[in-house]
Amino acid sequence: MDSGEPEKTRHESLALERAAALKELKALIVRIQDGDEGAVPRLREILRAMPELARKFVNPAVQTERSMIETYAGVDALVARETLPHTLEAFRAKLGGESPSPLEQLLVERIAATWLQLHYFETLYAQNMDKLTIAQSEFHQKRIDRAHRRHLSAVKTLAQIRKMGPAVQINIAEKQINTAG
Amino acid sequence: MVKEYIGTGPVAEATAQLDKEDRRKRDEEAHAWEEERSRMEALEAPIEELCDAAETLARAALLAAGYRQHKRGEWRLRRGDGQR
Repeated sequence: MDSGEPEKTRHESLALERAAALKELKALIVRIQDGDEGAVPRLREILRAMPELARKFVNPAVQTERSMIETYAGVDALVARETLPHTLEAFRAKLGGESPSPLEQLLVERIAATWLQLHYFETLYAQNMDKLTIAQSEFHQKRIDRAHRRHLSAVKTLAQIRKMGPAVQINIAEKQINTAG
Repeated sequence: MVKEYIGTGPVAEATAQLDKEDRRKRDEEAHAWEEERSRMEALEAPIEELCDAAETLARAALLAAGYRQHKRGEWRLRRGDGQR
């Protein structure tokens, strides 16, 4: 057997686990938004495992970021190796604060990843602008627009969670449902 | 594709050769662009997954804490949940 197989299998099984949890959460979200309050207890039950669940998504996020940095090195090695790691670290420190909850940590990772992607697409486009056909240029611009929307949405969600304040924070960090009675 | 008869002889052969070279270059460029597109799409996929997961967890946390989204816009605390 290939020596990398068990590791690959573990990754695959973790990915399946994440996908299953997300699928159930999404179904519950739809039910609650449609007015089915009976789905709330199950949602809360899943969220009691939130720190664990959120962490399961943080690791792939960090891996995605590393692979983006490697790709970035292809267009600007100096920026990729010298500047980006520091900028991303500063992002995390500034946005995450001193002790971010696992959900906040995940949301901060998302902001870092979407920022990095947007920055990469913009750099790539700027470097190749004069060589692109009109169609290629449009393709790049649409991709930049999508990346921009993803980044804005990431920032907005973190702001929303912070704005809602202790109710959501306590719920997530302490596994305590303060609306439970 | 437009075909143009340019006769025979050394000039015609040279023209055909240039034409062939042009076509090869265009094919290479198209192939390189396709590869670039695939590479970019592969880069977008994991970020989209991450965004989807983070958004779902955030929405779930808000709903569990008693917030409801008003007409796909603002999130508001459901009546009664604020006093608990």
